[in-house]
Amino acid sequence: MEIRPILSAMLRNKTGAVLIALQIAVTLAVVTNAAHIIKQRLDLIGRPTGLDVAHIFQVQSVDFAEHVSFRERVRADLELLRGLPGVRAATAIGSMPLSGGGSATEHYVEAGQDESRVAANYFTIDEQGLETLGVKLVAGRDFRPEDVDFYESTSGKLPASIIVTDVLAKRLFPNGNALGATVYDGLGQPQAIIGIVEHMHGSWVDAERVDEVVLRPQIYDGNFVRYAVRTEPGRRDEVMAVVEQKLTALDPQRVVRGVRSLEEIASDSYGADRAMAILLTTVIALLIAVTALGIVGLASFSVKSRTKQIGTRRAIGASRPDIIRYFMVENWLITTGGVALGSALAVALNLWLVRTFELPKLEIVYIPLGIAALWLLGLLAVLGPARRAASIAPAIATRTV
Amino acid sequence: MLHYYLKLALLSLRRNPILSALMVAAIGLGIGVCMTALTVYHLMSADPIAHKSDRVYAVQLDSWDVNAPFIDARPEQAPWELTWRDAMVLRESDIAARRAAMFISTFATRPEAEGISPSFVITRLTDSDFFSLFDVPFAFGSAWTREADQAERPVIVLSKEKNEEMFGGENSVGRKLLIGERYFEVVGVLDDWAPVPKVYDLNNGPFNDPEDVYIPFSLTETLEAESTGNVNCWKNEPIDSFADFLNSECVWIQYWVELDSPTQVEEYQAFLDNYAREQQRLGRFERPLNNRLTSARDWLDVRRVVQDDNRVLVGLAFMFLAVCLLNTVGLLLAKFAGKAPQISLRRALGASRGTTFLQHLVEIGMIGVAGGLLGLGLAVAGLAGVRLIIDDYERLARLDPFLVGVAILIALAASLIAGIYPTWRACSVPPAAHLKTQ
Amino acid sequence: MLKMHHVSKIYRTELVETHALRDFSVHVREGEFIAVTGPSGSGKTTFLNIAGLLETFDGGGYLLDGQDVSALSDRQRSRVRNEKIGFIFQGFNLIPDLNVFDNVDVPLRYRGFGAAERRQRIESTLDLVGLGSRRKHIPAQLSGGQQQRVAIARALAGGPRILLADEPTGNLDSLMARQILELIEDINSRGTTIVMVTHDPELARRAQRSIHIMDGKVSDLEPFDPPAVAIEARATA
Repeated sequence: MEIRPILSAMLRNKTGAVLIALQIAVTLAVVTNAAHIIKQRLDLIGRPTGLDVAHIFQVQSVDFAEHVSFRERVRADLELLRGLPGVRAATAIGSMPLSGGGSATEHYVEAGQDESRVAANYFTIDEQGLETLGVKLVAGRDFRPEDVDFYESTSGKLPASIIVTDVLAKRLFPNGNALGATVYDGLGQPQAIIGIVEHMHGSWVDAERVDEVVLRPQIYDGNFVRYAVRTEPGRRDEVMAVVEQKLTALDPQRVVRGVRSLEEIASDSYGADRAMAILLTTVIALLIAVTALGIVGLASFSVKSRTKQIGTRRAIGASRPDIIRYFMVENWLITTGGVALGSALAVALNLWLVRTFELPKLEIVYIPLGIAALWLLGLLAVLGPARRAASIAPAIATRTV
Repeated sequence: MLHYYLKLALLSLRRNPILSALMVAAIGLGIGVCMTALTVYHLMSADPIAHKSDRVYAVQLDSWDVNAPFIDARPEQAPWELTWRDAMVLRESDIAARRAAMFISTFATRPEAEGISPSFVITRLTDSDFFSLFDVPFAFGSAWTREADQAERPVIVLSKEKNEEMFGGENSVGRKLLIGERYFEVVGVLDDWAPVPKVYDLNNGPFNDPEDVYIPFSLTETLEAESTGNVNCWKNEPIDSFADFLNSECVWIQYWVELDSPTQVEEYQAFLDNYAREQQRLGRFERPLNNRLTSARDWLDVRRVVQDDNRVLVGLAFMFLAVCLLNTVGLLLAKFAGKAPQISLRRALGASRGTTFLQHLVEIGMIGVAGGLLGLGLAVAGLAGVRLIIDDYERLARLDPFLVGVAILIALAASLIAGIYPTWRACSVPPAAHLKTQ
Repeated sequence: MLKMHHVSKIYRTELVETHALRDFSVHVREGEFIAVTGPSGSGKTTFLNIAGLLETFDGGGYLLDGQDVSALSDRQRSRVRNEKIGFIFQGFNLIPDLNVFDNVDVPLRYRGFGAAERRQRIESTLDLVGLGSRRKHIPAQLSGGQQQRVAIARALAGGPRILLADEPTGNLDSLMARQILELIEDINSRGTTIVMVTHDPELARRAQRSIHIMDGKVSDLEPFDPPAVAIEARATA
């Protein structure tokens, strides 16, 4: 409707309008960039892991000293774990996926050729390892009990067969003939790829190649062992509650500790990302609240100081909707000025974030979304004061003071 | 006169309670968010041994692979940690007043007394100087001696928490504790001690709690104590025994020295370089000479302890504060514009522009102080929230007195900055302007 | 043109009821120039507010230009004000942020005229009040008399049937007041009905007749004309 006169009235009182516009500009810049970061973190957290995260937990056992019966101990423990009601599978495992702790080593496609080496995260598991982790075998075969053996923890000896993830198989052998092929360690010991699993996340969730994983049929000797246990759906907590006591009962001369669900372990690994998402969401919410309050405050004041003017407008024929529309249009103009400046500011802020912190570039769609949100916010915030303005009696106009 | 201004300010604030509340809320929110972000940042980048951090140095030797730097993205850096064999040689030098090699390991433990179930202890194997290097406070007993280091005596220092757990918090000096398969004698119990960040070992969680117990580094071989911390290896070498591992090129030991003068620093640097050259002749240290001494103060920067996320949050928090201030400026302008007739009257009655200005600054100052107090309250709540969200930040998200001062200052400065323009505008109302009706 | 029949208006607060108008009847014919006089608080402004549809009333009946306006909705009343009534206030009530042209434009916008028609109306009324050359000035740049002329132009631009003026010269010196009065007389001579509230007997004498209000009642009508048409008394609310 009457944009020009509203605009010219605004220009005569520009400080208030400029302040709100600036506020909206900074708000848009912060909100778009923060929303962008939040989205990235949530995407990261929500990636498929290839693991049955919800039904896996770990438990550790430590002896006071190394002893000869350690291998017997592991076998007995595994037998007990696998026999617990509600347990689907259990394996000895060197470290937990998604935990932030683990091992990596070089794999050579050509023995001794430095150019052919690929570093990959590896896990030591037994014949129930794949079943326990819930990863899907897509080619070749699973480990058999005869593949699995015990190794001194300080030993450099390697099992002869390994299973790798599909991504790693393709990286090692781009021609697609990974199954049955052999890779070597730095000392030239061969390892045959006997199976390929579809997808699995390794130890370090912030690593770029988190899904390049090697699985070895290997259990370390020593005084420390970690077990991963997968339960039937809905029975994880029930098994977790008894496992420490059951294992301790089997042999009290050791420490059974570290019962933690994979869900909790993964959640810790993503703690910083989740925290960032939560903190930024809080900042966005507060920012929007502050901006809305600012609009309400200034609009209320503007209504109060324009009481007479509004009364006069009513007296000369403005209806209530006309008055409401006036304030809506006025606010919309201010918001529009603010988001115009804010779009530039959002891009500038993003450039700074990209340069200084190597954050990803802002997807442009966040800007129109942010603009739409701020338009809506402005209109909602001004609705109250505008309605109060509309309720000013036209008879105010004839009052002298 | 100040008393009069305070009274006027209170009256004025009460006249527009909603507007005043909005301003206090805006400043309070801005300060609260800023302080929360700043506190975490400040503590993250704090120097836990500030009084001597320019005399305590981290030692780096570049024993890494000739074909690639330790960190691809930072080729100028040497490995953060040392090999066992290099650490053993450095321990022989007496150039530094104090020196300590260290790493963490994990053992099963239980006290001699019956009835307390065995548990894990995260153990730091280190030298006796560790405690004086980092000014570790003792509640009972003291550190073990250098003589105990040399004699590989099974002595142990407990953290306050572990002593609480094992011995109910009483003076346990002289008591025995089973670590692995050997009994260790308690020689000291620490008082409250939790350096943030854990400057002496940034490799294994810079904001983790300190270890449960401390035992002599010289026992490493005897105990076959494997590192349960960060271990990095580059060389393809057969490792079939613990002795092989100790002899390998794997780096896993943190090494610290105290050097009291620039001369000592030079002397020590020369010692490191000489050692490296000697090793080069023996076929090790194939990379260019890159041995580093970094003071504890600089070490935190070099290791980039403060996470980018926290810097981003601080940046965004200040933008948030800017929005809150813009908000306050707008509200103040509105409020003072409404007071124009009154100001005009006061001016007509003889108030100078200066006194009017002062009167309003007092009012703004009151808003600032109220906003600052609210902000502090919100920061306390905000930090509690952060602790709830991030377990690691248990020690980071605590308000410290220095920051409380900063908060009040920022609040005052912010509200004055926000207030100057509106006040100036209000005070430039000519005395006669509002005395007539329109 | 304007007929009020036994109109009453009561202002209620928690403690007291004030009868601003009681049993108030008046009839203004088309083309008349009426002055309304009376002491402060007698009900002059209440009468004007009710006549101008700025306020509702509690009892009696009111026909404006032959239309019963007592039961109109807020929106309809706005429409009537906009189309049939022009207001001139003691305090001018110009919108300080808008220039002369835009001030006169305000009611025309609400009327929904096209741009060309608005421009033509604004320019001709500004010429009529002698401010054709001040279109771009803002109110603060004008003298009191000039501001009141703008207000009159604003009241006239929509071609109202009746002009309600509330102490139109109250804030002006005598020279300016005379000029404004002459302008109002001129407008009246072109056929617009005028009802002017004033406490100045000098001014009242310039009108064709004057109504004196005392304690919310017409105390003195000269020359008095009884209502030509009987109005159905509305049930008291």
